[in-house]
Amino acid sequence: MDIFKNYDAIAQCNKCGFCQVSCPIFRSTGHESGVARGRLALMRGIIEDRIQWTKELEDPLFNCLGCGACTDACLADVPTADLVIKGRAEYLEKVGRKPIHKLLFEQLLPYPKRLHMAARAAALGKNSGISKVAKALGLLRILGRDFAKAENIVEKLPTKPFRGTFTPGEYQGSGESLRIGYFIGCGVDVIQQEAGQESLKILKKIGKTVTILDNCCCGLPAWTYGDIDAAQKLALKNLTAFSSQSLDVIVTDCSSCASFLKKYSQVFEDDENNQDIAKSQAPLFQDMVEFLFKNGYSTTPVKSPIVVTCHDPCHAVRGQGISRENREILKKIPGVEFREMPEADWCCGGAGSYALTHYDLSMKVLDRKMKNVASTKADFLVTSCPACMIQLSHGVRRAGLKTKVCHISEIVTGAKPEKE
Amino acid sequence: MVTENFIRELETIVGQSNVSVTSTGIELYSYDASLVKGNPGVVIFPADTQEVSQAVKAANKEGIDIVARGFGTNLSGGTISITQGLVICLSRFNQILGIFPESRYAVVQPGVTNMEVQQALAAVGAFYAPDPASQKVSTLGGNAGENSGGPLCLKYGVTSNHILGMEMVMADGEVLRIGGPALDPPGFDLRGLMVGSEGAFAIITELTLHTLPKTESVITMLAVYDDIQAAAQSVSKIIAAGILPNTLEMMDALVIEAVEASIPCGYPRDAAAVLVIEVEGMEVGLKEQAGQIKEICMANQCRNVKIAKNEKERDLLWQGRRGAFGAIARLAPNYLVNDATVSRSVLPKALEQIKVVADKHGFRVGNVSHAGDGNMHPLLLFDSRNPGELDRVHKAGWDIMEVSVNLGGTISGEHGIGQEKQEAMKMIFSGDDLNTQQTVKLAFDPENVLNPNKVIPLSKSPGQPLESFKPTILKRLGGISAKGVPEAIETIRAANDSGKSLIVVGANTFAHYGNPCKKDVTSVSTLAMTEIIEYDADNQFITLGAGMSLARLQEVLEENNQWLTLRPPFFNRKATIGSLAAMGTSGPERMFYGAPRDFLLGLQYIDSQGRMISTGGKVVKNVAGYDMTRLMTGSNGNLGMITEATWRLSTRPELCRAISMTGILDDCFNAALKLMNNNLFPAFMVAVPENNVPDQFPEYWKMVVGFEGLSKVVEHQVEKCSLLLSKNKLKNLGTWNYPLIDGCFKDDFNKIAKAPYVLKTSAALEKMPDLIKGIQEIPGIKAQTNQNAWLLDFGCGRIFNALDLLDTEQWTSLSHRAYSLDGHVQLEKTPKSFRLEHDVFGGSLRPEWAVMHKIKNALDPNSLFAPGRMPGR
Repeated sequence: MDIFKNYDAIAQCNKCGFCQVSCPIFRSTGHESGVARGRLALMRGIIEDRIQWTKELEDPLFNCLGCGACTDACLADVPTADLVIKGRAEYLEKVGRKPIHKLLFEQLLPYPKRLHMAARAAALGKNSGISKVAKALGLLRILGRDFAKAENIVEKLPTKPFRGTFTPGEYQGSGESLRIGYFIGCGVDVIQQEAGQESLKILKKIGKTVTILDNCCCGLPAWTYGDIDAAQKLALKNLTAFSSQSLDVIVTDCSSCASFLKKYSQVFEDDENNQDIAKSQAPLFQDMVEFLFKNGYSTTPVKSPIVVTCHDPCHAVRGQGISRENREILKKIPGVEFREMPEADWCCGGAGSYALTHYDLSMKVLDRKMKNVASTKADFLVTSCPACMIQLSHGVRRAGLKTKVCHISEIVTGAKPEKE
Repeated sequence: MVTENFIRELETIVGQSNVSVTSTGIELYSYDASLVKGNPGVVIFPADTQEVSQAVKAANKEGIDIVARGFGTNLSGGTISITQGLVICLSRFNQILGIFPESRYAVVQPGVTNMEVQQALAAVGAFYAPDPASQKVSTLGGNAGENSGGPLCLKYGVTSNHILGMEMVMADGEVLRIGGPALDPPGFDLRGLMVGSEGAFAIITELTLHTLPKTESVITMLAVYDDIQAAAQSVSKIIAAGILPNTLEMMDALVIEAVEASIPCGYPRDAAAVLVIEVEGMEVGLKEQAGQIKEICMANQCRNVKIAKNEKERDLLWQGRRGAFGAIARLAPNYLVNDATVSRSVLPKALEQIKVVADKHGFRVGNVSHAGDGNMHPLLLFDSRNPGELDRVHKAGWDIMEVSVNLGGTISGEHGIGQEKQEAMKMIFSGDDLNTQQTVKLAFDPENVLNPNKVIPLSKSPGQPLESFKPTILKRLGGISAKGVPEAIETIRAANDSGKSLIVVGANTFAHYGNPCKKDVTSVSTLAMTEIIEYDADNQFITLGAGMSLARLQEVLEENNQWLTLRPPFFNRKATIGSLAAMGTSGPERMFYGAPRDFLLGLQYIDSQGRMISTGGKVVKNVAGYDMTRLMTGSNGNLGMITEATWRLSTRPELCRAISMTGILDDCFNAALKLMNNNLFPAFMVAVPENNVPDQFPEYWKMVVGFEGLSKVVEHQVEKCSLLLSKNKLKNLGTWNYPLIDGCFKDDFNKIAKAPYVLKTSAALEKMPDLIKGIQEIPGIKAQTNQNAWLLDFGCGRIFNALDLLDTEQWTSLSHRAYSLDGHVQLEKTPKSFRLEHDVFGGSLRPEWAVMHKIKNALDPNSLFAPGRMPGR
């Protein structure tokens, strides 16, 4: 990796500073290292030999949420989040990587079964406190000091993965013709299984068949971390698996996975062959939200009227341009009053594993989000990304809000609100 | 050099995590939005004023220079440390401390962005007028430091018109408060001087902003042109027709292309230019105004005029304008932006010549202009990675400034001088002018540590004054050759040579004003200076000698249906505009129009060495150099003899109508509070005693509210106001039309002026009842109000009243009462015996007076002018 290849894109920043408006990190720190203009200035500084590759660059490169809000505010459209990933990749090469990421990206994420095992171990550990177990295993040193603070983010971990209950394979649906593949994201597989169940219900109602795919991680965590190799391996593994299936559409209820699946071709920048494979499969992938919007779904009216607001995952609103669809779906449900919250499209600070590595910053971003949630007095906070759900659930607990966090699938099927 | 010890000391002051010295940390603060680059020695992020103060003291000990900075969106290199000094980043000063819409002010920290304060104000139905295009990201501290403009300042004036006061850390680390919610404290206009001082005088740590209530309605239009000259022509014609839109913004084809490529805003891609025009005000009459504008545009070869149908369309039109600079970034990696300003009637010529300059140097140029103000923003596109381009683009920028000055304009309308335009200051100022400005800077900052080596061109021998030279381009009319000036210079030089002191007089109306002079003084008169030096009715300004009477000036202006929007109290028919400028006086209509400080564009004066010094210019936006015009305005002849002044003029209102109601004081006051935060825009709100029982504080008052402007709008406002007043238990006494020049209160002021003592007290409106009580409660004072002449200027938070007697104890306690209410006091008139013993500007010394004396000593070291007349003597 060589950021010099992106010199033109980096030099396109003319330092107007408009990115500062929308960067959740800059809004929390007020420090130039935490905003697109600063990150780009440093990368330009490296290219122009004013700055050397040292550990000093870790913060500016790695405290970016990758939410892409800066590019929205940037009239020159500089794709900073993508450029930062390139910067991270070169950083890992030149300065070095942490062992935990090696373990995670190379040993766990490509293998669903190993991930399940790790999750089960964590679930057991959760009862006695993750940090204690981690400490005993010497993991704290590897994961960094923020990990101990972050242990309460996940409230409870199921002991069994989603695919432990719903084994991969083809299921009959009640629809007429559509052959649907259901891509299980790691978040649904390991944590947000209730959402997965509702998604499966929806897919079964619409599809003639629903195939629960035996996919591995989509590769987004490795990609955003700057581990391009690992991301390529994961993407290729998935693409190969999909090509052996005959499916009309592959749906995932994780907006982050969906956005990344759709941009697989970008992962293989210098590999035309795989790029073509990725391009040919790209039209198959659909976010659950757009799938619902296109195919419709007879929603169950809620028992008593509820107020609902929504949080736009970065990978839905900026990653895929989805922001109208989720709102339209919610507004159509009888008994639901939709209330827009301020800054609904601002990152929640979850950003995958961001909270594990940058707990304090992540919480500042989350607190801002919770202030906005509270202002709506909503009963439900609806989103479509399991990682956001984890972070938002932590947020409402922290802020002491009564608002419940749920996946859009859960609202649509009527699973939420739960019957008293 | 920044030493390890210094860094350790900073760490103990602000905490280790708030000190940045790593190479990345330095790189991140080596730039702003301009093209200037420079590495700071160290960057700190203090949490509060105390930390700033301590850091400044620590830097002083080490001899380290200091640059204050907000979010770094400066466009002239103002926030770059060019001497490897300490950068104090105020991003943690991000709190809005208070909003008081009924007294029309807000208190904020300097790291709050302009947009954040707008949003907070919008929630209470108010707004802050200055709206730089960078408002989403630029901080208020920076806005104040640069005296930022923005589209709205066409109607409302620049930042300086809207800053009431501030807390600041001085160059020696001491903390000082100046101004505050109460208008126009006695003495020099320090806050006016601070605004636009580009961080070279002190570090602002808190700001008091003047806010306004939101208007009822707004209409935004897009006028499309096939010819840029026709667009510029329309702008001139609109203003000449006496219409004052909020904004008159112009963009040319290249900018349209860039904007449309980034956010399609509906600007036609094949147009040569578009104007974004906005009018706001009462719903009544607004559509007619928009129609009138449309007619003028269409008569000037406009293709079509599109009116935004809703909020969304309006936002879209503005998004394009606000994002224009950034959008240009799509076309090239870098741009150089200039902000030269000319009189709006020569705008077409200026744009034509700028095109020639850009072609000559081989750059593409896009133009965004605050066309109504004649403030241009030519953007020259380039790529700093190409060898030699940076130098060439700077040369082109230089040539553009020359174009502007050759057309009588200035080099910077709102972005500041910083480092980028420093040398170009010589185009418009003489060596003496510039040395005078630097003298003021050094009065604040004797060691030259605050943002040093910027704004004023550097002398060949470091630390020495510049040699004497004339401006390289600008030829100012009048000046040394104006009628009466050579004789005055002679007198001043002679007095200087013989060690005598002087007092500048005009018609001798205000001989009783201020503290009495310490030694014998001879007078030097302005009365011979009666020339009209330049009157440009189209561009709405006039330059005239200081000896002309205000009354005569208004007669002159009447011929063009224009006027100077002032009715200063206690002015008789002979009183001169020299006095007006020197005293900075304003009447109750200040709440609507402003004070002399807000519409004096430039001055010429003779300084204590008998040299002619020029300040400002004749364009409505001008941030070239420190704001000497504001320093001189209201300086009461303590710093020099003003010989000529350039005033911004206005079209006469169609109708002036007042409504009056009567009731008890509490009800009048409550009605005033309601009116202040209502989308009615009275020219004044005043209460005077309705009945007059000697020895008693008046029980019933007559509340008088005036409206001025287009007949239709005034009539509508009077009606709405009448409704509002009667809801507040006031009894209607009727409405009447009043004369434009004399206004409504000439008699009331004259009555007050008859008393031996005339007291003026000021505080924010919400504190006025306390202040009134304060005056009444002073032992013995009640019995002394035999004159019982009062004028409560609610709109400006001022009380004028007559007193028969005043003793030391009363004066001191009254002053303290006012100070405790964040207000101030001044005796406009006293018997000489009182003045000999007391300071008429306040019963005890104020800390900010010491700064005024430093300025006075620096500019007039031998106390040639009116010795002892100043606050604190």
